[in-house]
Amino acid sequence: MRPDFAAFAASSGLARTLEIVFYYLAAASVASAILAVTRRNPVHSVLWVLALFFHVAGIFLLVSAAFLAAVQIIVYAGAILVFYLFVLMLLDLPREQAGARFGTHWPLGAAAGLMFAALMWYASQSDLGPPAAPPPEGGPALGSLAAVGTALFTEFALPFEIASLILLAAIVGTIVIARRRRES
Amino acid sequence: MVPAGACLVLSAVLFGIGLIGFLSRRNLILMLVSVEIMLNAVNVSLAGFSRQLQDQRGQILALFVIAVAAAEAAVGLGLVLALNRNRPGVSVEDLTQLKW
Repeated sequence: MRPDFAAFAASSGLARTLEIVFYYLAAASVASAILAVTRRNPVHSVLWVLALFFHVAGIFLLVSAAFLAAVQIIVYAGAILVFYLFVLMLLDLPREQAGARFGTHWPLGAAAGLMFAALMWYASQSDLGPPAAPPPEGGPALGSLAAVGTALFTEFALPFEIASLILLAAIVGTIVIARRRRES
Repeated sequence: MVPAGACLVLSAVLFGIGLIGFLSRRNLILMLVSVEIMLNAVNVSLAGFSRQLQDQRGQILALFVIAVAAAEAAVGLGLVLALNRNRPGVSVEDLTQLKW
């Protein structure tokens, strides 16, 4: 039982190739995030975010989070982004594109974002030490459906139920907010 | 072998880009999309730590982040729809009713 793609590749001498793939995915996700934030057409922005989510899913695969990668594609790329596109189509897009993309305060926003990224980068330079030893052979691999499912329904059963309540509250709240008021 | 430090740097850069987008775009929907970019950056760092520590719990936390992101998208876009019904356009600079 070896569904852990990253561990398999590391043991079969593909480690260098995997590193190159990781750096490609990282560069491509940064590029698509920048494009998503700066494009004038909102639909193009959302489509660049779609590219970002696919590349991040590839990174999840490389760090042995296979189930997370699947959820990323199904929920983020499949459901959330389609929802965004759907709402975007209801708006007056030509009018949106005619106005300025950024508010007049954009240098302040850019400075804040750059400062935050630089600080986080600086903070993440501390030595993390060697990676922990992988779990013993025979058990479910890290990030596999079996391992994640077992953890979700045992140790994390209560947070799991709370997440379902949050989603229910979000559904009801959305209907209440977006409903057309009846004229009385 | 993907180094965990590289995951953290990528996460920091993506979060910064999302923050820039959230603070400077005028379109309300693209601000929400920038929030999604930031949440995704957090998920990258959670998955990187999960790999580094060989611990399942980082990935579980990332799953909950995705669930909360779905709820946030639903409520946020519901608000945008309600807003768009009362006035044309979704520019944040037009939303000044709460200012006195």
